[in-house]
Amino acid sequence: MTTSTLGRPARSELTFRQKVSRFDYTFSPFLYVAPFFVLFALIGVFPIAYTLNVSLYDWHLLEGQGEFVGLANYVSILSDPFFWNAFGNTVSIFLLSAIPQLVIATGIAALLDQAIRGKTFWRMSILLPYIVAPVAVTVIFLQIFNQYHGPIAGLLELFGLEPIRWAFDVLPSHIAIATMVNWRWTGYNALLLLAAMQAVPRDVYESAALDGANKIRRFWSITIPMIRPTLIFVVITATIGGLQIFTEPRLFDGRTYGGSDRQFQTIVLYLYELAFPRRDFGQASATAWILFLIIVLVGLISYAITRAIRTADVKPARISAASIGAQQGES
Amino acid sequence: MNSSRTRIAASVAGIAALALIATGCSTGGGEGGGDDKVTLSITTFGTMGVDANYEQYMEENPNVTIEATNLEGGGAARDDAYAKIAAGTGLSDIVAIEEGWLGTIPDDSFVDLRDYGIEDVKDSWLDWKYDQGTTTDGKVIGAGLDIGPQGLCYRGDLFEAAGLPSERTEVAEYFGGDDATWDRFFEVGQEYVDNSGKAFYHSPRFFWNSFVNQQEEGYYKKDGETLNIEGNDVLKDQFTKIVEAENDELGAGLPGWEVGPEAKAGDFAVYMCPSWMLGIVQGYYDEGTTDSGWDFADVLPGGAANWGGAFLGVAESSEHKEEAAKLALWLAAPEQQAASFELAGPFPSTPEGQELVADTTSAFFNDAPVGEIFAARSEGVIAQVKGPEDSNIQDNVFGPVFDRVSQGEVTDPDEAWDEAMELLDQIVG
Repeated sequence: MTTSTLGRPARSELTFRQKVSRFDYTFSPFLYVAPFFVLFALIGVFPIAYTLNVSLYDWHLLEGQGEFVGLANYVSILSDPFFWNAFGNTVSIFLLSAIPQLVIATGIAALLDQAIRGKTFWRMSILLPYIVAPVAVTVIFLQIFNQYHGPIAGLLELFGLEPIRWAFDVLPSHIAIATMVNWRWTGYNALLLLAAMQAVPRDVYESAALDGANKIRRFWSITIPMIRPTLIFVVITATIGGLQIFTEPRLFDGRTYGGSDRQFQTIVLYLYELAFPRRDFGQASATAWILFLIIVLVGLISYAITRAIRTADVKPARISAASIGAQQGES
Repeated sequence: MNSSRTRIAASVAGIAALALIATGCSTGGGEGGGDDKVTLSITTFGTMGVDANYEQYMEENPNVTIEATNLEGGGAARDDAYAKIAAGTGLSDIVAIEEGWLGTIPDDSFVDLRDYGIEDVKDSWLDWKYDQGTTTDGKVIGAGLDIGPQGLCYRGDLFEAAGLPSERTEVAEYFGGDDATWDRFFEVGQEYVDNSGKAFYHSPRFFWNSFVNQQEEGYYKKDGETLNIEGNDVLKDQFTKIVEAENDELGAGLPGWEVGPEAKAGDFAVYMCPSWMLGIVQGYYDEGTTDSGWDFADVLPGGAANWGGAFLGVAESSEHKEEAAKLALWLAAPEQQAASFELAGPFPSTPEGQELVADTTSAFFNDAPVGEIFAARSEGVIAQVKGPEDSNIQDNVFGPVFDRVSQGEVTDPDEAWDEAMELLDQIVG
């Protein structure tokens, strides 16, 4: 034994320094990203898994865990007309906000992509609504959409028209809420799209122009395909945000959970009503999971649709892919 | 992106985090010691007027700092309390609890005030109020603050313009005085509507709630468990009358709350006023307003009844139970109840407090002798037994149906009643 130890030169044995260095090389990257994953596990994975657990029990908010009921909570949610009402409202508000928002944001981005005076000023201006707290936005819009004494009511009265029952009728309430959402998010999305547009190489435009493509043609055949990755990102975040909408409808009528007759009760508000005033934590958790699955599904669908946007002859530039990576990191 | 996808889950964690922050704030000093610095947190709602007393307490007890939070309404306070009880942490040291959901609070989340000497002052409360704060096994979890005797707020100026009596005793007489009935109330309303071309009240909800509270048994039977709505002809008759009154345009079709601009514009002329509502009506106007036209009459259609009232509880999770209980009992004592009344209107639940405010008048309500009127309105009144879903039924079963009725979406009383029963099944059934 002694001979074999002696016979082996200590060549492969690393010094302490070297060990540290090797450890550093192998594990440091993991340590650097660890805080994110630890946080994500704590405030992301754990609550989701725990919610799943709660959703399988008869669970009273105040009295705590009851019997295991399997999927019974899911069954009763899916057969509850209030859930489907909330589902319809959410989809309606989502469509009313996402579509105009993306169209307008793309338009604004295209305008800001032109050579204009005071670029920074305009860019900062469109981001302003995003900085304002949603609660403040809602409070201001509540004044505007006051059925009786708001400015819109005043205008309608001036023209001798019937007042719009913003807080009572389904579609007007959805439009009012979508307006608040659009007000807040259009500028933000426009900036994202603008960043993508700026990354489109100018020479592509130049050669297209030489080939006789007009501005509109260039926009559709170059800009849109080239900013596709960013568009996907914007659509998906808008989807997630839109389906989880809560603050605006919650505050639109603070005394109710989405309208006295559930005219604008969204899925999250329905969940809130189940969890707190009705104290059924099991069903509320089941709703959270149903919403989660819906979001995943809709996310996949919007991804598919955005992908289907025709890719022109130009390959999606690597630059755009890089820029989206950067944005994701920031968000 | 990942982080936004988990927002649902994060909101749950968020509640817990907020709760943590809240408890973090309430640590101030050791338990029991008289000279240690202590910060006591208290959460109230609406216009309870409890805040009238904080400064005096802090002056008299220099070691105590009171950190007060006031939530907008009883519903918000209820949801807030539920969330924090469920999280097991985050309740303020002292929490204001409303009669309508007192019964749903788990006994073990609030301390038994008997351990802190509430029995020594038991006699200062009206018996029924003290009993309401007592659980079935004798624990006292709430120290009574106010009770809700009801009178009628009305606009003297608008009444006069519509050719109705406007002086408050004449108004009370006009509605029938001590024998005022709901039929007479709707008659007078019709007269007002015919003469003025304007609506009489803002929303039928309050008048319905008031009626339900007048019954010996309301949404629940006396046992507090059996529902008392389906097949209840008394409730349905009144329901029908209200729907018909709406068809006759007595209501302005407004939401139940937050109708300040409409009040100022004179869109309606009466408001059902339990004592705690005075502060809400007054809150629609700038502070110090005295020419709003509102007045207050000693009359209630259908006879005197209690509507609402609050309690102070001390959270079991509090780190300073002793000091918190001391403060809670002090705030619920007659002198402080009287000060709250003078600030905001909730009528004392202690006979001594009621005596203290006997001469109080309200400048906002045209110098009406509110203390005297509420004393008259609370004579012989005993609060109804509330069931676990009482406030839920009020807000989420009948509330929405009356909103639909007042918007003219449903005009047939039977149809409206059926809608309510369907909602009842879905929400409570």
